[in-house]
Amino acid sequence: MKIIKKLFDTQRKHFEETGKLSAFKPLFEAFETLFFIPAITTKHAPLVRDSLDLKRFMSFVILALVPPLVYGIYNTGYQSSLAQNQSLDMIYVFMRGLEITLPIIIVSYGVGFFWEVVFASIRKHNISEGFLVTGLLFPLSLPPSIPLWQVAVGISFGVVIGKEVFGGTGRNIFNPALTGRAFLFFAYPASMSGDSVWVAAGRGAQQAVDTVTGATPLAQAVLSQAGDNLENLLRDAGFTLKTLLVGGYPGSIGATSTLCCALGAIILILSGVASYRIILGGVAGLLVSSLALNLVSGPGSHPFLSLSPIFQLAMGGFAFGIVYMATDPVSAPGMEQSKWVYGFAIGVLTVLIRVFNPAYPEGVMMAILFMNLFSPLMDHIEIQMRLKKRIPNV
Amino acid sequence: MLTINKGGGLRLRVSGAPSLETVKLKEPEHVGSIPFSIPFIKPKLVKAEGDHVNIGTPLFYDKNNPELQFVSPGCGTISDIVFGPRRVIEKIIIHLDKSETSETFDPIDKNALKAITRKDLTERLLNGGVWPFIRELPFRGIADPDTRPSSIWVTLDTREPFMPSPDIYLQGKTNQFELGLDILKKYSDNINVSAGDGIHGHVPVTHTCPGSYPSGDPGVLLYHTKQTPDENRSWYIAGQDLLLLSSFLTKGSYPVERVVAVGGSKADKEERRHCITRIGAPIANLLPASSKKPGLRYLTGGLFRGSPVPPDSFLGLYDTSLNVIDQGDREEFLGFIRPGFAKPSASRTFLSSIHSKKLELDTGTHGEIRACVNCGSCAKICPVHILPQFMFKCIVANEIEEALAHGLLDCVECGLCTYVCPSKIELNDTFRKTKREYRNEQY
Repeated sequence: MKIIKKLFDTQRKHFEETGKLSAFKPLFEAFETLFFIPAITTKHAPLVRDSLDLKRFMSFVILALVPPLVYGIYNTGYQSSLAQNQSLDMIYVFMRGLEITLPIIIVSYGVGFFWEVVFASIRKHNISEGFLVTGLLFPLSLPPSIPLWQVAVGISFGVVIGKEVFGGTGRNIFNPALTGRAFLFFAYPASMSGDSVWVAAGRGAQQAVDTVTGATPLAQAVLSQAGDNLENLLRDAGFTLKTLLVGGYPGSIGATSTLCCALGAIILILSGVASYRIILGGVAGLLVSSLALNLVSGPGSHPFLSLSPIFQLAMGGFAFGIVYMATDPVSAPGMEQSKWVYGFAIGVLTVLIRVFNPAYPEGVMMAILFMNLFSPLMDHIEIQMRLKKRIPNV
Repeated sequence: MLTINKGGGLRLRVSGAPSLETVKLKEPEHVGSIPFSIPFIKPKLVKAEGDHVNIGTPLFYDKNNPELQFVSPGCGTISDIVFGPRRVIEKIIIHLDKSETSETFDPIDKNALKAITRKDLTERLLNGGVWPFIRELPFRGIADPDTRPSSIWVTLDTREPFMPSPDIYLQGKTNQFELGLDILKKYSDNINVSAGDGIHGHVPVTHTCPGSYPSGDPGVLLYHTKQTPDENRSWYIAGQDLLLLSSFLTKGSYPVERVVAVGGSKADKEERRHCITRIGAPIANLLPASSKKPGLRYLTGGLFRGSPVPPDSFLGLYDTSLNVIDQGDREEFLGFIRPGFAKPSASRTFLSSIHSKKLELDTGTHGEIRACVNCGSCAKICPVHILPQFMFKCIVANEIEEALAHGLLDCVECGLCTYVCPSKIELNDTFRKTKREYRNEQY
């Protein structure tokens, strides 16, 4: 600890205003404050302050991301080994997963952090901790076979266009990680959708994997014909409810396991960092709308309409989206009742996009971005209603 | 009796509460007057250094309202007048005589009080220098004697850590307190007396507020009881100050006795107690040991509303509380991932939330300032249902009308929004300054 302190103290002079590296002062401070909570005392009342700061706040999101991250790494390696008929030994699979996912995560953090430093240096403010979350959320939402240059382009778009052009942290309309993903989805659909992207080959084995279709359960569902029993179809393809809940199927790196996301949700809700209203509202919206579709579906309709709500909840990236993306406090509404509506609408939209739009097998990304757009309006309406109840005091 | 318990507020577990032991401190050598700490006045001195003053001799008056007089809390010679930046009068120090004399006024008793007119009474209170104890909502300045408030709140206990216990300062003074209420009845028919959770002696308490800080604040009580906008301009007075008012009328001299609660986690154990002392007493007199230690901060007037004073300063006119806490200017290695068993927080992100032990507060910010991420912690804790995260944006965008619609003037300046903010934004300071500017435009 003293060594680190000494290191910062001796190097600080280079980053001061007269130092050679003064342009990188935010970078220096970001690292220093990561190691040491600075000794700042209060000047204005109240003179006492809570121990919670934004670093701790964001650390809880990272902590909640650990279950899907670890499982995602394992599953990526597992699917890759499975496709290439290689050893399914746990450690081997995990190392293979690391080999595939680690470069993606490093590129995401590295490139994104570069943009943060550029903007912080120009604007002369500190680097916000929000990026620690964006930089991890983004890679976890990508397919494992994504080329690294696309990761770099995607996170650049997410950070610069999704956040910094609006003025930086706290001012963005859309969730930056999801903005980056949406950009890749539309700009490079070949790497982001279809059957062949969800299983990564690992180094030097591209050929072998190309012959394996790693179709996701959602793609399976969309392709089914009228009269099919979708649950049987899914089961035959290896997607039992248990598999879907645990997440052992091809998909986005961190988004396949509903159980891990539920674990993360518990951490976020217990610590009070994310809004339970959004998460529960979203789950309710998904269940209610898919149940409603069950009721209206007839023998001639698409089997996706009659799929059990539990399957809807378990498959795809909905759980990941509603727990980690939709609860981003900046792009979600700030008012309590609006949060219920916002979450519920995301759930409903997800099902509608999944079922009625075969072009987008997974609807949660578009659903969240769409509702992000409406959150200021929802806030406005709720605030106006609330202010009307106040006894005026002017 | 009405119980007001609307939730909100902060369940505090602060260590260093004062004991109920009460000691009478020996007379200090000096007393001080702190014009700087009296809200909204422009002090104009009438005495100079070296002048001799009695207890109750006017020291300065308000330039905007010359009838508002502020009198000397001691008898002796003015030994020093300290000016701060821009000629602000920071303190007037009076070296006390061995035996003190008071300015005398006509004393009146309970029956005479009934006969006296409101105008006459106001004049007496103004001349005696005790009028400034009556304050006015929503700006919390000194009450304007020309207005008629719709209600007056007497607060026995504001629930702020750490204020003197009403049981101690009301002991044997029930009659005096009731006379005080008679004084207030001259100004309004609607007199409310609020207490924490108990009934203190035979004092006629009308409202209890068992919730946590700041449930006993007059602004919070008014917010939860008002029916019409007319009630916004109410007056309030602290229970102890009401005793001073009635003591002044019955004795005919300026009363200086004060019961001060001394607390805070860094005060010595022997120092954490109730002290019977006087208005303008030196801090060092109340804290014989801890006023000499380095790295501490001394807050007069409560842990949240209080202002920091140097250890060589004096108690202000309204101060009945003194807290000694750690400065908290230490760097903390990897602080953001520590379990935090002993870290106080309103959130559930530290392990301190799983036990119920008392915790130590200090004056560190525990983090750097960041942009607002709309986490909503401030709105959850606000005792008067303001949305601080939106209201401060209105103010920053210079939309004062909108901030008023949000309830800017309902803000009781309790500081809880600023306390909980993880982005360390100075919300309370923004609100106070905006209220101040708005008031100055109106008066």
